[in-house]
Amino acid sequence: MKKYLKIWWILTIASAQNNFSSRFGAFILIFGKIIRFLFFFFFLIIIGSRVSKIGGYSLNQLILFFLTFQLIDTLPQFFMRAVYRFRQYIVTGDFDYFLISPFPALFRGLFGETDPLDIPMIVGTIIFIIIFINKAFTVSYFNIFLYIIFIFNALLIAASFHIAVLALGIVTTEIDNAIMLYRDTTQMGRIPVDIYKEPLRGLITFIIPVGIMMTVPAKVLLGIAPFTIIIISFLIAAIFLSLSLFFWKRALRFYSSASS
Amino acid sequence: MIISVNNLSKSYEVYKKEPGFLGSMKSLFARRYEEIKAVEDISFKIDEGELIGFIGPNGAGKTTTLKMLSGLLYPTSGQISVLGYKPFDRKYEYLSKIALVMGQKNQLWWDLPAMETFLLNKEIYGISDSDFKENLKELTKLLDAENLIEIQVKKLSLGQRMKMELIAALIHSPKVLFLDEPTIGLDVIAQKSLRDFIKEYNQKSKATILLTSHYMKDVETLCKRVIVINKGKILFDGFLSNLIKQYSGTKNIYLTLSNIVDPSHLKDLGEIKKYEFPSLILEVKKEHVNKTVAKIMEKLPIEDITIEDQDIEDVIRDIFEGK
Amino acid sequence: MIKQYFLAAKNTWDETFVYRLNFSIWRIRTVISLLITYFLWLALLGNGSFIFGYTKAQMITYILGTAFIGNLVLSSRSATIGDEINTGDLSNYLIKPMNYFTYWFFRDLGDKAMNMSFALIEFFLIFILLKPDFYLQPNIIYVVLFVIALLISITILFFLNVLVSLLAFWVDEVWPLRFIFFIIIQFFAGSLFPLDILPKPLFLIFSSLPFPYLLYFPMKIYLGNENWQGILVGFLISVIWIFLLIKFTNFLWEIGLRKYSAQGR
Repeated sequence: MKKYLKIWWILTIASAQNNFSSRFGAFILIFGKIIRFLFFFFFLIIIGSRVSKIGGYSLNQLILFFLTFQLIDTLPQFFMRAVYRFRQYIVTGDFDYFLISPFPALFRGLFGETDPLDIPMIVGTIIFIIIFINKAFTVSYFNIFLYIIFIFNALLIAASFHIAVLALGIVTTEIDNAIMLYRDTTQMGRIPVDIYKEPLRGLITFIIPVGIMMTVPAKVLLGIAPFTIIIISFLIAAIFLSLSLFFWKRALRFYSSASS
Repeated sequence: MIISVNNLSKSYEVYKKEPGFLGSMKSLFARRYEEIKAVEDISFKIDEGELIGFIGPNGAGKTTTLKMLSGLLYPTSGQISVLGYKPFDRKYEYLSKIALVMGQKNQLWWDLPAMETFLLNKEIYGISDSDFKENLKELTKLLDAENLIEIQVKKLSLGQRMKMELIAALIHSPKVLFLDEPTIGLDVIAQKSLRDFIKEYNQKSKATILLTSHYMKDVETLCKRVIVINKGKILFDGFLSNLIKQYSGTKNIYLTLSNIVDPSHLKDLGEIKKYEFPSLILEVKKEHVNKTVAKIMEKLPIEDITIEDQDIEDVIRDIFEGK
Repeated sequence: MIKQYFLAAKNTWDETFVYRLNFSIWRIRTVISLLITYFLWLALLGNGSFIFGYTKAQMITYILGTAFIGNLVLSSRSATIGDEINTGDLSNYLIKPMNYFTYWFFRDLGDKAMNMSFALIEFFLIFILLKPDFYLQPNIIYVVLFVIALLISITILFFLNVLVSLLAFWVDEVWPLRFIFFIIIQFFAGSLFPLDILPKPLFLIFSSLPFPYLLYFPMKIYLGNENWQGILVGFLISVIWIFLLIKFTNFLWEIGLRKYSAQGR
């Protein structure tokens, strides 16, 4: 564990220095994310100020769902940024060097490019959530504890998708935006998934568990999640994680190291 | 026995697109794949401390073989054992004992000094502080690169960068070293210093080294034993000197003439490889050498004569062209 | 003379097939973002038949309609102009006897054609699966005006795109700017909601910008709930914008090129 943390830290520092030339880009990117966040937030408030209940939820509840989504959407983007560069690693052959060192190639494929510049943004989001929950709701410590557990559960599912995308990247270099597909699908979790109609709702609850990732944690906090869905959530995370790891292992067999 | 390879094959599927609009339309829905055999049923064995050269034209399967040996590629069929491990399992004990250097790829961080990469590798390979210091000192001394490790990689010349790549790959003192075109793109001086290093490193560390190269000179100066590979198959495996004996049916006769001779008089002596008065090079079948020399002495006005084996480069070219 | 530009359009179309997986994923992304907005509005409407002054059918038509014409208006390749300036590939074009902007306009058209053909299939499926309450405009005059508004909006977007790309003369990377640009366009063009549900003063400020004329304005005309005076003013503002954008593009292009050639890239 200590070894992993140490290597992660070396990689993080290095990528911070390495990407220094595109600092401007990184900065604007974060700025863009904040704008997009504010736009949707603004949209929710505009609507909420004129309609009292939306799909059975109050405005505050909707904001909570959206904030939770925001956190679960951002954390993996920051920690697993290397996934977005993975195609580059494959094409240039850098991945050969990941494979040949006695350290999990998967670890570097996922966490090898964390950018410390993102940390303030994450901390900001968390503080915002804490303040908002404090102001808008009265919830028990136990529910907060469950909320945190479920956010971790969601992050596990997110990690599974990232691993699957990496595996896909090994099999074919043609796709450079499979991760964006995941990102866009999860965007559906900006609002509680019960708002969608069948068959879409079933699809994004279980097949692509957007609901379990984005909606369930906030519901748990509000104490409105049925017990069965809690069990199912853990089960689904376990299934997704083991499937993606299996897929990753299989994919390595098809690796055809970019020839020089 | 460090490396043993038995009946190893690797094939790829490559996709083909038909030209034109209809072709693209078709390829959108159904693609035609073609199987390409990169390596076909090859076997060889390598002992500890050997320095072996893989020779072959582009796409012969050299790199594919090297990558299977280092565990990057999954073999389609056949067995490989290196240091008693199956490379594709990529056990950490195995990976800690090997290294791969590719002349056309780099593991160094472009914008940072090479030292940063060495420090990362120190952690990855779990090298102790004292070993790290000692190895680094030794390697930088051998490569004459003590003052390069703190310079941003992008500011180094290609030759200097290659030195850094080698240090990064060797810092954990691997037992087996795979070098894929290590001298590619380097100038003659850098090539030579790299060659000297590889030779010296092989002798000092007793590491087994497998090397592929385009440059015959690399193989000639470094390797006693060579494996010639073409179209995925091994054509020759043995001493370099035997390769020349076995494949070259001809010798070159170098002549210096004292008078101009009409080329038409030379034809029945042998094939004229080069004729720029006063020097003349004739290629003659081995069994005819004695007879031809006698004839030359008799007929031609010569100042000097020497007989030599074929150039290694020519021999290899003849093999690949199927002569 | 025009043939080379048609070839550019055709090649752009062909290129898409080479990256077929990428393109399919791009299409899926577009559909997903449409579904998010669609279902959100469906939930907002609930059982009611009116919202913010729109009937249910009008609102659904607005959301689906902006998404559909978005394929025509927003799809573009001209982002590459920025890369070509940064890498210096621009020089390859400058020495050719052709108009760089016309070339890119036609490449955009190729891209739009490809996206539209896929959008048609997708919307066909959406209509079959979701059976949305879609409003068909019976008045041919509105439909004609709608088409004219679309042509204007394509032109506006092209020049906006080029403008952002031309900033590459001054910065090393333009993609972060494009990213922000795209977010702004999506919001201000009205693809998330019809802009007139905003508070009046805010809406008036928005209306003076070029963005609402990309999606919101054409869709309003199609729905027929913009009065004649509003349509006239809208056309006037958007045409003025085209004029200003062309002027500004030419201006940036000239001083940019001067800088470009001074650096000898």
